Amino acid sequence: MDPMTFSIIRHRLFRIVDEAVITLKHVSGSAITNEGHDLMVSLYRADGTLLMGGVGFLHHLTSAAEACKAIIRRFEGQIGEGDVYLLNDPYTAALHTSDIYLVAPIHHEGRLVAWSACFVHVTDIGAMNPGGFAPQAVDIFSEGFSSPGLKLLDRGEMRQDVLDTILNMVRSPEMVSLDLRSMIACCNVARDRMGALLTKYTAPVVDEACAALVEQSEQLFRARLRALPDGQWQSRQYLDVQGETARVVLTMTKTDDRLVFDFTGSDPQSRHSINCTKWAALGGLFAPLFPLLCYDITWNEGVIRPVEMIAPEGSIVNCTRPAPVSVATVGAIQSVNNAACTTIGKMLAASTEYRDQATAVWHANHFAIFKFGANQRGGYSIGILTETFAGAGGARSFADGVDIGGEIPNPISRMANVETVEGAFPIRYLFRRRAVDSGGPGQFRGGTGGEMAIVQHRAPAGGIDYVISGKGARHPMSEGLAGGYPGAPNSYVWVHADADADLGAPDRLEAIPGTPQPVSWGVYPLRGRDALYVRWNGGGGYGDPIVREPAAVAADVTSGVVSDSAARDIYGVALAASGAVDLTTTSALRAAIRSARLAPQEASE
Amino acid sequence: MQDSPTLSYLVATDVGGTCTDTIVFGSDGGIHIGKALSTPPDFAHGVLASIQSAATPMGLTLEDLLSRTHLFVHGSTVVDNAVLTRDGARTGLITTLGFEDTLHVTRGAYGRWAGLTEGQMKHPVKTDRAAPLVPRDAVVGVAERVDCFGDVVLPLDEAAVAAAVRHLVDDKRVEAIAVSFLWSFLNPAHEARVRDIVAAAAPGTYVTLSSDIAPVPGEYERGSTAVINAYAGRITRNYLTDLASQLATRGYGGATMVMQGYGGLLPATEAADRAVGMIECGPAAGVIGAKFLGDLMGDADVIAADMGGTTFKVGVIQGGQLEYAREPMVDRFHYIAPKIEVVSIGAGGGSIVAVDPVTRLPSVGPRSAGARPGPVCYGQGGTEATLTDVMLLIGYMDPDQFLGGSITLDRAGAVAAVSRQVAEPLGLDPTAAAIGIYRIACAQITDLIREITVERGLDPRDFVLHAFGGTCGMLAAAFGEELSVRRVIIPYTASVNCAFGLISADIAHEYTTTRTLGTPAPAAEVNAIFAQMEARARAQLHAEGIEPGRQRMEWSVDLRYCRQVHEVTTQVHAATPLEPAGLARLVDDFEALYERKFGKGSAYREAGIEMTAFRLTARGLMPRPVLTVEEEGPADPAAAFMGQRPILDLTSGGMANGGIYDFTRLRPGNEVAGPAVIHTPITTIALHSGHLARMDRWRNIVVTTVS
Amino acid sequence: MTRHILPTVATDGITCTCAGCGYGLGPATALWKASAICRNLPLAVAGGPAYDTGFADVVLRQFICPGCATLLDTETATASDVALDDRLHLR
Repeated sequence: MDPMTFSIIRHRLFRIVDEAVITLKHVSGSAITNEGHDLMVSLYRADGTLLMGGVGFLHHLTSAAEACKAIIRRFEGQIGEGDVYLLNDPYTAALHTSDIYLVAPIHHEGRLVAWSACFVHVTDIGAMNPGGFAPQAVDIFSEGFSSPGLKLLDRGEMRQDVLDTILNMVRSPEMVSLDLRSMIACCNVARDRMGALLTKYTAPVVDEACAALVEQSEQLFRARLRALPDGQWQSRQYLDVQGETARVVLTMTKTDDRLVFDFTGSDPQSRHSINCTKWAALGGLFAPLFPLLCYDITWNEGVIRPVEMIAPEGSIVNCTRPAPVSVATVGAIQSVNNAACTTIGKMLAASTEYRDQATAVWHANHFAIFKFGANQRGGYSIGILTETFAGAGGARSFADGVDIGGEIPNPISRMANVETVEGAFPIRYLFRRRAVDSGGPGQFRGGTGGEMAIVQHRAPAGGIDYVISGKGARHPMSEGLAGGYPGAPNSYVWVHADADADLGAPDRLEAIPGTPQPVSWGVYPLRGRDALYVRWNGGGGYGDPIVREPAAVAADVTSGVVSDSAARDIYGVALAASGAVDLTTTSALRAAIRSARLAPQEASE
Repeated sequence: MQDSPTLSYLVATDVGGTCTDTIVFGSDGGIHIGKALSTPPDFAHGVLASIQSAATPMGLTLEDLLSRTHLFVHGSTVVDNAVLTRDGARTGLITTLGFEDTLHVTRGAYGRWAGLTEGQMKHPVKTDRAAPLVPRDAVVGVAERVDCFGDVVLPLDEAAVAAAVRHLVDDKRVEAIAVSFLWSFLNPAHEARVRDIVAAAAPGTYVTLSSDIAPVPGEYERGSTAVINAYAGRITRNYLTDLASQLATRGYGGATMVMQGYGGLLPATEAADRAVGMIECGPAAGVIGAKFLGDLMGDADVIAADMGGTTFKVGVIQGGQLEYAREPMVDRFHYIAPKIEVVSIGAGGGSIVAVDPVTRLPSVGPRSAGARPGPVCYGQGGTEATLTDVMLLIGYMDPDQFLGGSITLDRAGAVAAVSRQVAEPLGLDPTAAAIGIYRIACAQITDLIREITVERGLDPRDFVLHAFGGTCGMLAAAFGEELSVRRVIIPYTASVNCAFGLISADIAHEYTTTRTLGTPAPAAEVNAIFAQMEARARAQLHAEGIEPGRQRMEWSVDLRYCRQVHEVTTQVHAATPLEPAGLARLVDDFEALYERKFGKGSAYREAGIEMTAFRLTARGLMPRPVLTVEEEGPADPAAAFMGQRPILDLTSGGMANGGIYDFTRLRPGNEVAGPAVIHTPITTIALHSGHLARMDRWRNIVVTTVS
Repeated sequence: MTRHILPTVATDGITCTCAGCGYGLGPATALWKASAICRNLPLAVAGGPAYDTGFADVVLRQFICPGCATLLDTETATASDVALDDRLHLR
């Protein structure tokens, strides 16, 4: 095909996705969509295979393809122009019930030629806990409304009875209605723009370009895989919920131009809602694969073809109905993300040509905290703490990780300003900053995570409540690479204070008055002078910490992200009172660390 | 040009990244143009050279011209340059204890990806934040706290402030201090007290308060604004002071007005303390110039496109209103200041054309050969094929008539480079490759303009397109047709458009009061908010010598649907002070605007509507230039006909014999039908079959699609 | 020809070696970690207070080159977990 036309059509497909995302954000207007960028829009071919993935939450790209295919199977022969379908059943294709897919056929001159699909995390889905994450759920039936596929718009007409039924089952029907409206507007834009493209270039030419685009991605990805070493790399992740620990174990095998991700050895499904279904696991491993291995390749079906996944039935990464899955996106799916990031990182780092593409794990551990309650302006507020989108970057083979720099599976998120949150909720932040020593030590340091504390402030009901699905307080999860340490684990603390306690101006956990108590899972109050403290994980480090440039360690101490003791004990760097490196003592410290490493283990501890 | 001692002049000079452009407007309606290279970091030097280059053809010395100049209007890239080259002051930041990292953490990933291309965003392993303007060890937190109602929760620890100032000035050797406390825009007392303490402890230190420079919510962006302003503050003040004294030495006795990013002018004395206001003021002036022409020609909806050597910039005027940037940035730093939205991509005449070795997709830019070494055909040592080389291959540039014949273009070199970089990798002949690249450049620009119009809920088909800059004319008719704009206009002043914009602007002051009010609200409460701002504004304009008859007060209000995040600035059209009916109309206007911007069905009425900010634009009207109008004559352009040669005709898809015309010999009323090219002294206007170009009464070229 | 299993561990298809000092880490057919020094450090010992979760059964497992004492690889592990098995498949 003419390379110029091909190039223009490819660029335009990308722009169509982009325009549809803009529409989605404009209409939605919710914080999780607009700040967290917790959304996805992609285009699919007539058979439901991925054609053009956008920049959103990337673990949705393949799941939405399966959603398209599920709709095709269910509605074969009844798919009309202008229809819009809804699907959110995790056992059919979705990740969890609150991430609703809207899937819409695109027709041209009467023929079905493509699909668009999008999702947002809706404000509520009627699960037993508000906000969609239901830490207290015991099965899928307690996780709210779920559909394996229904027709929401019939030839452009809203099926009001269906919509009313859905809205009748959720806590915030107006906001959910708006979420759905935003996705419908998004589908409309994708359809209109695709229509214009098809009219300008004709359906056969566009179809040929799409086929060529998929073929090209496959050829490029296979060529890249051939350039990487053959071998197997393993990783392991722990999910701890209230003292129960589940492992996700991954063996990634690369042979010639194929990749197999095998989760054999992972633990059985949990009674808690951290499980994920197999479509979710598949999405979870593609989320880091697209940006790490295909940063310069169009994200489509061609990238999916060389990849195979083995996920044992009944395991935490392929759970059996009716196991609960509402926390999957920050549970097993995220662990699949992390495990795949580690094995891909190891493979890239094993290649001298691709070593500069390798990264230790970024932000391995979301913490879903939904706060809800009467606000200071006479209304009612519900919303996520957007700090969960502000993870830490993993270290790379050539540079430190980015402090509070985000995450790989959702490359363009952001967190809300403190003033935005305090304006909408009756709470006050005591501090929000980078957490010292949280970045995984290494020759290149992992990015730091953060820490924050909040108290209720002038709440009309004396406080608010929050739903917390907080794991990762027991195990570091952002694995290091090539000898780098993992980033520090999460920490969630409820500080109980007397009703007349003087809060003062605490700028760290220890300075907050009261008695600390770890919390992680369930629904809790935030009242009186009590505080909620959260520290979130740093990114993994890269390389041996004792070969880190001493000046870089000194700079980290100066800017407060590494403590004196960590500089001394982990990096083997001694600093003079001026903050400058004491080279002589540093050499001695590093020599002592080497000796200790070589000593018999009993003696070293 | 005959000089008469009775004439007086308005002089406007715009300092851009490459060129410093001057336009001199005589009281007789005469327009004179000057151009010189910009001279960073000593920009004043280039300003004088540029004015000189306008004066010489007028038969005047620089001193003659300046002594008869009644007003000097100025725009400069000095602030952008200080930030981009990290040439500003050593700066410290004093902020609320516990929030010392806010600036460096950039709301998480936001500062890591903002300002990157889509391709870069998809490659996170290779992304980082920009190096900060304030090192982390020059940030000091002090105990203090104000809450969301503006009430003090914790008093300011003044001893800690004094210690912080000593630490920053003595140990960190800072020359400037930014101050940014939580909620200071509601209660600036603590920040103001810090200013006093600095003045007492370290007089001479440059101080910027966030509550002064950006009294709006959002501590990251507000603090970043204060930091940028502190960082570039002294450079800006020194530059404007120095320029004023240099102009005075050469005979200029009047005031200097300085362009702001929001498209209004400020007296230089005020502009000197608002460095952030000058960011991207040149491109803003370009949009103001387009608006002036649009108003003149009766076009309220204009897309202003400027394409020079390295970038393609586009701004939008809708219903005679300017569009403001939602999240402005300089380099990769966010700031908050009203700024006309100008979006750019790295596509210009110097953009390098290539085929991606991995995907084999041909592309234009964003890498540029710049002014040096420049395109291969300039023969200045450039070896990589650029868009300009492509233009030569498809017949849009005359190898022997470039820049009045001063340079002979190297056609063979351009052919060889395009062959090597594009044609051979794709198995095409060089001409076919060049045509393909031209199509891709058009498609990229089309996609960009569609994106920025769609982002605002606008339809390009309702707009006319103004094409400025040296490269735009070669593409504008083609991408204008693809966008289906009503017509494409290449203005007579296209080569100095930003300077032209300077002389068509008014003095403008922007005031904002942040306050949340539900609707319906008592009109008296809204009026009281505006009355306070108006009193300040009128005193300010009075001090600038603007009498009440030339003062204009424009009210607008930010509204939003409760529980949604998108605010829409809505103009108050009703008489002010507002009656209840006027306030109701404001809410209706907001609803209409919201639906237009964000699409049908996007409004969320059920939750109610609230007002979040009150904005006053106080204008001091400046005299408008009166452009000379010529009678339109016959359509026949024979007098300007120079011959024929093969040129690309996109309509037929290949090279065709096209007419070649000399712009300087065209007369108003003349019409040229495509395929054809019109050579102007600075650019080429390319017409494809079906395009008709007409020279209008102001000597603008107006292109319409006739078939 | 020398290839890498990880940046820190090389193999020529016959044996594994430390990429830094060349110290032998056993035959290519075996897991190189068996020939490295393995230390299981409680998290609080390895990473300091920021890593102190209060759960002593979770360790940072370090694999160290007996030749040059370079830290070759780390794992988060509990005592019962077998070492992760990374190896090349050479043809």
